[in-house]
Amino acid sequence: MSLVQDLRAVLGDDRVLEEPVELYLYSRDASLMQGQATCVAFPHTTAEVAAVVRVAEAHGVPIIPRGAGTGLAAGAIPIDGGIVLSTTSMNQIELDVENRTAWVGAGVINLDLTKEAEPYGLSFAPDPSSQSACTIGGNVANNSGGAHCLAEGATTSHVLGLEVVLAGGEVLVLGGQAPDMPGLDLKGLIVGSEGTLGVVTRALVRLLPIEADVRTLLLDFEELSAATRTVSDVIAAGLVPAALEIMDQKMTTAVENWLRAGLPCDCAAILLAEVVGEPEAVEAEAALVSRIGMQNGARNVQVARDEEERAMLWKGRKSAFGAVAQVSPNYYLHDTVVPRSRLVETMEEVQAIADRHGLDVYNVFHAGDGNLHPLMAFDASDPVMLEKVHRAGEEMVAACLARGGALSGEHGIGLEKRDMMRDDFTDIDLDAQARLKEAFDPSGLFNPAKVLPEGSRCFDFGGVRREIPDGAWV
Amino acid sequence: MGWVTEYHPTTDELNACVQCGLCLPACPTFRLTGRETASPRGRIQAMKAVHNGILQVDQPFQGVIDFCLGCRACEPVCPGMVPYGRALEGARAEIAAQRPGFSHRARSVLLGRVIGSRGSLRAGSAALRAAQSTGATSLAPTRLRRLAAGLRPLQGRPRATVGHSGGSGESGKVALLAGCIQDEWFRPVNHAAIALLEMAGYRVEVPAGQTCCGALAAHDGKADAARALARRNMPVFTGYDQVVVTSAGCSAHVREYGHWAPAGEQVGERAVDVTVVVARAIEIGLLPRLRVGSGPIAVQDPCHLRHAQRVTAEPRSILQAGGFDVVEIDPAGMCCGAAGLYSVLQPEASTELGNRKATQIRSTGVTRVASANPGCEMQLRSALGARYEIAHPIEWYLRGVMAADESGRVAGVRTAR
Repeated sequence: MSLVQDLRAVLGDDRVLEEPVELYLYSRDASLMQGQATCVAFPHTTAEVAAVVRVAEAHGVPIIPRGAGTGLAAGAIPIDGGIVLSTTSMNQIELDVENRTAWVGAGVINLDLTKEAEPYGLSFAPDPSSQSACTIGGNVANNSGGAHCLAEGATTSHVLGLEVVLAGGEVLVLGGQAPDMPGLDLKGLIVGSEGTLGVVTRALVRLLPIEADVRTLLLDFEELSAATRTVSDVIAAGLVPAALEIMDQKMTTAVENWLRAGLPCDCAAILLAEVVGEPEAVEAEAALVSRIGMQNGARNVQVARDEEERAMLWKGRKSAFGAVAQVSPNYYLHDTVVPRSRLVETMEEVQAIADRHGLDVYNVFHAGDGNLHPLMAFDASDPVMLEKVHRAGEEMVAACLARGGALSGEHGIGLEKRDMMRDDFTDIDLDAQARLKEAFDPSGLFNPAKVLPEGSRCFDFGGVRREIPDGAWV
Repeated sequence: MGWVTEYHPTTDELNACVQCGLCLPACPTFRLTGRETASPRGRIQAMKAVHNGILQVDQPFQGVIDFCLGCRACEPVCPGMVPYGRALEGARAEIAAQRPGFSHRARSVLLGRVIGSRGSLRAGSAALRAAQSTGATSLAPTRLRRLAAGLRPLQGRPRATVGHSGGSGESGKVALLAGCIQDEWFRPVNHAAIALLEMAGYRVEVPAGQTCCGALAAHDGKADAARALARRNMPVFTGYDQVVVTSAGCSAHVREYGHWAPAGEQVGERAVDVTVVVARAIEIGLLPRLRVGSGPIAVQDPCHLRHAQRVTAEPRSILQAGGFDVVEIDPAGMCCGAAGLYSVLQPEASTELGNRKATQIRSTGVTRVASANPGCEMQLRSALGARYEIAHPIEWYLRGVMAADESGRVAGVRTAR
């Protein structure tokens, strides 16, 4: 029987898609990449995922796990055919309020989990900007961060256990309620593996008590570097605020045009700082942040008056990427990290690179983490522009790596940065990672061609070579 | 390019989407199915693929577009400000042109000629009135039976609105768009609007010669019919300070008249939903604010008010001014599934969404509901059953004012004639 027939025998007719329009939509995510899906499958249970894996193996067809498709690194693109396995139907939440944990289906939307936990005074800390749409499965796959991961750490710090479907359809539960499970930390290995080792079906996550008090400050500066220096000084002063986020003037203007929240658009940059904790501590920390800001030349320090105003500020920050659509039909951004101490000079270099190529660059970034998101707005239908953006992007990444930075902060490697892995890792590093991949996925069917560049294995036995097709651009 | 009509989605409309996916969780059909093909981003990308000649306007494409409610909940959450409603109307116009089946032709006649003609509407409602009083509606096919169950009982014939003019005019001169179905089956809403606006010192005219606003036709891809209806209305509604519309679906559409004909801009800019005018009149003291307790009331946000026009505070402030305790039912403002003809064309999804909304309302324990759109009112009534009393916010408010006036609890109210 054909692949689709076999899948339909397992899932039923309506849970396997194969019409051209359906395949087209599932061959894309939030990146600029376009792949070609063979079919789309919607399993509802872990057992069904295992069955899909067995069908895929029988046909020798890859499996590309997909949550909401909000990834920016082309991690969910079926590059050369394959079954796109949508997790959106696996969306059960089992709260364990007493232990402050929850077993969560891979398809649960990040913000839905927090909404579910809120009545019990709990929340899920990782809050990517796409948190209203992205799924826990995607967060686990990419070890996603977010504005509030400065103090609390990225997804891996909040995952206690995982249920994973491995090669052969084997189901494994890794980790558990105990804080430090004995043996090798396989759970830690799966987090951030971008679906290349198996399919995560459920996660046991840690929930944190909601802080007693919160204060959100909006500082505006006449120089981007002054905002960046403020961030360094705040951390040097011994504070670890819940969040420290910067947006430059162009980005702020685009967001304000949509949101109408009264964001200051006449300054070079705004800094969004949030402090949480007991009321007295919050009071003192907010005062300190504001003083450091003033010392660095902040024109104004506004404090969100109520929850509504606070939510509005965060909505603005978290919608920044999409707001660029008002300016240009496409955008391309890099997600790189530099040591915080080198943030100022890196930002200057990024601007210089953009200027050199005659490109518009928008900046919005997790300043506290030294995590940059320089974003170039352009029209991808112009091939000259496309090439310029591509080259400028490479130079920006190189500039970050040269300053002791890393290739990705939180968006993952996917296809987008796969071939830059060599700039960040030695052959030995890559060989070790490739061996690990081989141990989990001997037939190379789990999200192939992602993360590890071709030939990562020192003695590459090859398998099926999966090149990026001509005309595709990552 | 796979388009054949002048109404097709434009490059600018489609390019505004950068596929970020922030619209997904706001979309009721994505929430129901978890499918990209049932999401706003997916639909825009499908349109873009047709626009670029990658896909055709074929049956699967039609399936993707037809499943959309047109609730536009994706618009307020879109930082790229994609004009989704516009693009959808364009795609529907293309489907109607490229895939004309019997159903499309029949709907063309229904949405263009039948509801554009007062005579046909009157005949239809007379037949329905007879069916209601004899119980004959139970003989209708399931889809239509559900629709009929949502109607208000039509008892007698309230006096005509079209042709009416009255009021002092010291606050300004407004025209009222009576609407087609609104005026036939929900005429008390129009009477309440006239009474309140005159009470607030407006000169109110319901000019003769007006017709259906064309919203239903536009939403269903009958673009030529929509344009013809808009053109008939434009001269009729020119020359007023404001054009007041009592149905949220219609006010959203009339405000976009500029799109349907260049001359429509002037009417579009002056068009306003009745909740906005009444709330403003209360705010500046032209209408009274009651301090009496009228009891709890659940408020439902019609999508074309909340999402298409971003109007949410006004229905609430009107109800509060009427002495009601406003009970929220759904912070996300998810569509109730009525969505114009959707309840007939996609009964399964429509019923599911209607039931979800009904569950939310039942769980509040409140049996009085305010909704500012006739389609939503019908959907809620058919999902909730007759025990629930559903009316437009201005009707609830007027009721409160009249009761208070009789018992002398409001001073200085100029009672409606």
